Amino acid sequence: MAWRIGVDSGGTFTDVCLFDEDSGKVEIWKVSSTPDDPSRGITTGVVEGLDQVGKTAKDLSLLGHGTTVATNALIELRGVKTGLIVSDGFRDLLEIGRQKRPNLYDMMAEKPEQLVSRDLRREVPERMKYDGSVDVPLDVDALRAELQLLAGEDIKSLAVCFLYGFLNTEHEELAKRVIAEELPDVFVSTSHDVAPEFREFERLSTTVVNAYLGPVMQRYIRRLKENLDEIGLEIAPQLTQSNGGVIGFDTAANLPVRTVLSGPSTGVVAAQAIGKMSGFDNIITFDVGGTSSDVALLQNGVCQLTGEADVHGYPIKAPMLDIHTVGAGGGSIANVDTGGLLKVGPRSAGAHPGPVCYGLGSTEPTVTDANIVLQTLNPVEILGGRMKVRRDLAVESVQRLADSLGLGVMEAAQGIISVVTANMAKAIRVISVQRGHDPRDYALMAFGGAGPLHAARLARELDMGKVIVPLTPGTLCALGLLLTDLRADFAISRLLPLDDSARDAIESGFADLVGQAEAWLDNEGIAEDRRVLTRTADMRYMGQNYELSVAVPAGPITAETFRQLEEGFEAAHRQRFGFIAEGEQIQLVTLRLEAAGVVNKAEFKPQPEEGPDASAAQIATRDVWMAEAGDFVPAGVYAREKLRPGNVIEGPAIVEQMDTTTVILPDMTGTVDPYLNLILEVKA
Amino acid sequence: MSAQDKKPIDPITVEVIGSALQSIVEEMGEALVRASYSTNIKERRDCSTALFDHRGNTLCQAEHIPMHLGSFLGVIPAIRERFDMEDIKAGDVFMANDAYAGGATHLPDIVLAEPIFVGGQLVAWAVNTAHHSDFADRGHQHIYQEGLRIPPVRLYREGVLNNDLQEMFLLNCQVPRERISDLRAQMSANRLCVQRMTDLCEKYGTEKVLAAGDALQDYAERKMRAAIAAIPDGTYRFEDQFDSNQWPDAMTLKVDITVTGDEMLLAFDGPPQVRGGLNLIYTSLLAAAYFTVKSVLDPSVLPNAGLARPLSVTAPKGSILNCAHPAAVEGRIAASQRVTDLVYGALAKALPGKVMAAGNGCCTGATFNGTDEDGGIWVYLETIGGGGGARPSADGLSGIHVGLTNTSNLPVEALELEYPLTLLRYELVQDSAGQGEYRGGMGVRRVYRAEKACRFTVESSRVASRPWGLEGGGKAGGAILDFGDDRTDFSGMVDLKPGQIVSITTPGGGGYGDPSGRTKDAVARDLAEGRISPEAARTAYGVEA
Repeated sequence: MAWRIGVDSGGTFTDVCLFDEDSGKVEIWKVSSTPDDPSRGITTGVVEGLDQVGKTAKDLSLLGHGTTVATNALIELRGVKTGLIVSDGFRDLLEIGRQKRPNLYDMMAEKPEQLVSRDLRREVPERMKYDGSVDVPLDVDALRAELQLLAGEDIKSLAVCFLYGFLNTEHEELAKRVIAEELPDVFVSTSHDVAPEFREFERLSTTVVNAYLGPVMQRYIRRLKENLDEIGLEIAPQLTQSNGGVIGFDTAANLPVRTVLSGPSTGVVAAQAIGKMSGFDNIITFDVGGTSSDVALLQNGVCQLTGEADVHGYPIKAPMLDIHTVGAGGGSIANVDTGGLLKVGPRSAGAHPGPVCYGLGSTEPTVTDANIVLQTLNPVEILGGRMKVRRDLAVESVQRLADSLGLGVMEAAQGIISVVTANMAKAIRVISVQRGHDPRDYALMAFGGAGPLHAARLARELDMGKVIVPLTPGTLCALGLLLTDLRADFAISRLLPLDDSARDAIESGFADLVGQAEAWLDNEGIAEDRRVLTRTADMRYMGQNYELSVAVPAGPITAETFRQLEEGFEAAHRQRFGFIAEGEQIQLVTLRLEAAGVVNKAEFKPQPEEGPDASAAQIATRDVWMAEAGDFVPAGVYAREKLRPGNVIEGPAIVEQMDTTTVILPDMTGTVDPYLNLILEVKA
Repeated sequence: MSAQDKKPIDPITVEVIGSALQSIVEEMGEALVRASYSTNIKERRDCSTALFDHRGNTLCQAEHIPMHLGSFLGVIPAIRERFDMEDIKAGDVFMANDAYAGGATHLPDIVLAEPIFVGGQLVAWAVNTAHHSDFADRGHQHIYQEGLRIPPVRLYREGVLNNDLQEMFLLNCQVPRERISDLRAQMSANRLCVQRMTDLCEKYGTEKVLAAGDALQDYAERKMRAAIAAIPDGTYRFEDQFDSNQWPDAMTLKVDITVTGDEMLLAFDGPPQVRGGLNLIYTSLLAAAYFTVKSVLDPSVLPNAGLARPLSVTAPKGSILNCAHPAAVEGRIAASQRVTDLVYGALAKALPGKVMAAGNGCCTGATFNGTDEDGGIWVYLETIGGGGGARPSADGLSGIHVGLTNTSNLPVEALELEYPLTLLRYELVQDSAGQGEYRGGMGVRRVYRAEKACRFTVESSRVASRPWGLEGGGKAGGAILDFGDDRTDFSGMVDLKPGQIVSITTPGGGGYGDPSGRTKDAVARDLAEGRISPEAARTAYGVEA
C-alpha cells in the first residue's frame, strides 16, 4: 500500500508528485513556496498532497526532495562568515583566480564577491612538492596561532586547502585534527574531502563554497527533519544532488556544494526514465522556465557527467550532469538595440511585474507577450484559467518594437520567437555539435512551463525529427525524484601512463575508492544486492590538459583492460576532436567510481490504445498566427487531460493544460503514446 | 561601401545566422584549447579563432585575446595578393607568422587559414592563431633574430600535408613536439569550422548566409557610428610615457583623437622605431585602437570589420607605433598596452565619468628555458596580471589582465609538474593600488625558485612611469623586479642558478576621484584586509589605524 513522494521546492511553487506503488497512479499537487523558511511549504505540500489520496506520512516508502537552498544562498550571498587556511604565500589565490577579467570588453564588469574576506584568509608554513612529497612540514604551532585569531573573529565555518592536497592528504588531515581541538564548533571543509582533484584554484573555490554554505544547509536540514518528524514521517528522506542522484540528509549537510546545481538535474532524470519507457534512447532535454532554458543530451539513455562548472562566477568541481543553461525563457525581454537588430534576453521580466500581458505595469514585450499576440498562448486566460491576460497590452508593446524595426506587428511577434529560438538552438549546439553529436539523431524532450510552446520551432531549426512532450511537463523535476537512485561519486587524481606499469596503482586506487563507496553505502543503509559500482577513468594524451572519460571494464586490471581503455579513449577523442594522435602516450589522470544504491522506482503502466480520433478532446478552435502561412490560420485547441492513447492531432493545433501549452506546427502531427506522452513528428 | 548600398535582409534572419556564426567560432576555440598540448594554449588559452568573409573581412571572432585580431587582419589580404585565387582549392591550409608578410603581429603567433568552399564557391575563411611558446632566448635587434619568418604558405594542399615544409618549420623550433601537437589542434579547429559553415550554407542557402554576414558588419558599423555620434565633436589629446626594463630610455607616446560627426580619427605619434623587440606593426596598432574604442563606446559591438569603418588610425611610418622592416616586434604587446592607455586617457576627456583610470598597462611576461636530462629543450612562458584601473563608481579589479591580453595563469600544480620551477608566493601587493574615492586594483607579486639551472627573462613596463589616476585619483605602484642578486639592469636573458629566487611585482591600477571622498568604511575595510598600510590610511585618507 506504499506511496512515494517527490517534493521539488522552487522560488514560486513547491511541486509535489505522488506515486502509488501498487496501481502506478501518479498525482500532482502544487502549493506556494515559503521562501523565508522553505521547510514549511514542503511540509504543507506533503501533507496536502497525501490528503488528496487519503494517506498520511506513515504510508510513505520514499521521500525525495529537490531544493535550491544552497543555490539561492550562494546567489544571494547568504552564507556564513567563513575563514580560510592555505599554504604560505597563497592567500590571494582565491581572489586572483585564473587572472582573467570577468568580461573581455566591458571594463565595468565585476568579479564575483569574495566569500572569504582577505583578513580571514590565513597562511601557514607548509608545502608539498608536485609528487606529493613534503617540502616543508606543516607548522602546527603557527596553525594554532592562526586559528586563535580566527576564533576571535567569530567565524562559523572554515575551509582548508593546501597545494597538492589532492595528492597527499597528510597536512590537510593533520590540520583538521588541530581545528577540531581549537575550534570544535566550527564547520570544516578540507579540499581533499570536497574535491580531491588537480588544479588548485578550482579545488580551493569549491572547498570555500562548501564551507560558506555548510552551516546554512545544516540549519535547513535540521528544521526540515523536525517538521517531517512532526507529521509522522518514519523513513529517512533523501536530497538531490547535481549528479542527478539522491543522498541522505547527513551527506548533503556535509557536502552542500554537491547540491548547487541539483535544480534542473531531476528533470533530466525524469526525461531519461520517460524516454526509456517510450522507446527513445537518444534525447536532448529542453527545460524552459521564466528566465532561462536548461538543455542536456542523453546518449543511449545516459547523460554524461561533467566535473566542473561555473556557478554565478564561482568555479565548482563536483560531479554534475552536463546541463547547459542559457538566458532565454518566457519572461525574456525583447528590444531593438542601437544597431537596429532585434535582441531577446538575457534580461527577464521575472514573475513580478512579469510580461506586459499580465497587466501589472510592464511595458517591454517579452517572449510570452509575443506568444499571446500570435495566439499560440491562450489570448484570454492562461494557467488553466487561473490567470487572465491582456492581449491588447501585449499588442501595443510589440507594435512599438515593430515600428522601430519597420515591420508589421505580427512579423515582429514572430521575430521575437525566431530570435529566442535561435538563442535556444545555440545552447543545444553547445551540448550536441560541440561534443561531437548530431542533433538530428536525437529526439527533443520538452518540459518546464514554456518548453512545449517552443519545441516544434526549435526542432525545426535543428532538423530534429521528433518532439516528446511528457504528461506533466511543469512538474517533471518532482517526478524525477521518484525515479532516481541513491548515488555518490568518488574520485582520485593519479597521473599514470596507460600501460602495464600502472597496473598496481590503478588497482590500489580503485580499491581505495571502493572502500570509500562501501562506507557510504553502509551509512545509507543500502543492502549488498542493491549496490552498483561503476568505474571510469579520465584520460588524455600525455601533454594535453583536458581529459575524456572512458568506462573501465569490471574485473581485475589486465592487458585486455588496457587495450579496451586505449580503444575507448581513441573513439572518444575522435568523436570530440576529429583525430587521434597515433603513437602518442596516453595518460590516466583521474580514477572515478560511481556508487549507486538501487531503489525501487516508480514504474508506469502502459494504457490500451483508443484509436486516432481526438475530437472528444477538442475544446475550441482558435486563429493562431503561423509564419509558414504568413497569416492567422484556424487551429484546433485540445485539452491535454482529455487526450487518450492512440489519439492523433493534425497540425496546426494547440494543446492546453494547466502547466503548459504545446504548439503543433502545420506540417506536424501529434500522437499520444500508451504512457500519455505527446509525440510530435513532421508529417511524412 | 556604406550600409545603404546593399540589398536588405530581414533583421530576424541576420540575428539567427549571427547566432550560428558565433557558435562556430566558439566551438573552434574550445576544440583548439582542449586538443592542444602546450601549457600556453591548453591552460593559458593564448589563442583565438575567427571566421573571415570571402573578401577577407573579419566576420566573427571568439572572445579570447583581442591582440590576435591584429594577427588576423593581414593574413587573408596577403594570401589574396600572393596567390592566384583560381588556384586556391578546398583543403588548402595556409600557415603564416611574419609581421611584414601579412602573418601575425609577432613570430610566435602562428596563423592557420583555410578557405571554405560550398558548391565550388568561396564563402568564407576559417582562421585561427595560437601563440606557440617557442623561438625563445633569441635576439631582438631586428626581426631576423626573432625566429623563423613564415609568409603565407600552403601547409596543406587540397588536404595533403606538405611534409617538407613542416619538417623545416619543426627544425627551427626548440620544442618541436609541442609545435606539431599544437598545429594538429589548430588544424582540427579549422576542420570543424569548415564543416559547420558548410552545414550552415546548406541549411539557409549560401546567398542568405553571405548576405547575413554583410548585414552583421553593417550592423556593427551602425552601432559604432551611433556611439561616436554621441561624443561632442572636437580633438582630444593625451600623452603618456612608455618604459620597459628591456630598453634604457622612456619614450613619449601621444594621440590626438578627433571626432567629427559619427567618425573618429586616432592619430598617434611616437619616437622612431628601436633596435629592440618593442615595435608595433600597423596591425598591432589597429587591434589596440579597435579594442579600446569598442570597450569604452559600446562593449556589445560585434568584433567584426564593420566596427572599423568609422575609425581611421594613423602613426608615422618607421615610428615605434608603426614600424618598418626589419624592426623587431616580439614584445609588441608592451607598447600596445600603452596605446590602450593613450586612447582611454583621451576618451576620458571626451566622455568624463565613462572611462576608468589606467590599468597596470603591461602584459608582464616571464620566459624560462632550459635543457632536460635527455637533451631536449623546454620553454615556459607566462604572463602575469596586475591591477585594473578604478572605475567612476567602483574600485578597480585586482590581479587581472587588462587591455589587449586576457590569458589565464597556469595552475601551480601544473607549472611545477611540467617545469623545474617552484612558485613560492602568488599574492596581491599592499599599497600597490592608486588611491582615490575609488581605488585602483592591486598589483601582483609572483616569486619563483629555479630548481635547476635555466635561462630567464622578464618583459615589464611601468617601472618608472606609473599608471595614472583620473579626476584627482592617485597613481598606482609601478613594477618591481628582483632577481635575487644586486643587479639594476633587468634587460636580456639571464642565467639562473639552482635555488635562485626571482620576484616579479606588477603594477596596480590608478585611482579615480579625490581620496578624501572615499568612505571611512571602505578605508577601514582596506586597512583591516591589509590592502593598504596604516601609513597609507593616514597620509592618503586621513584615517588613523
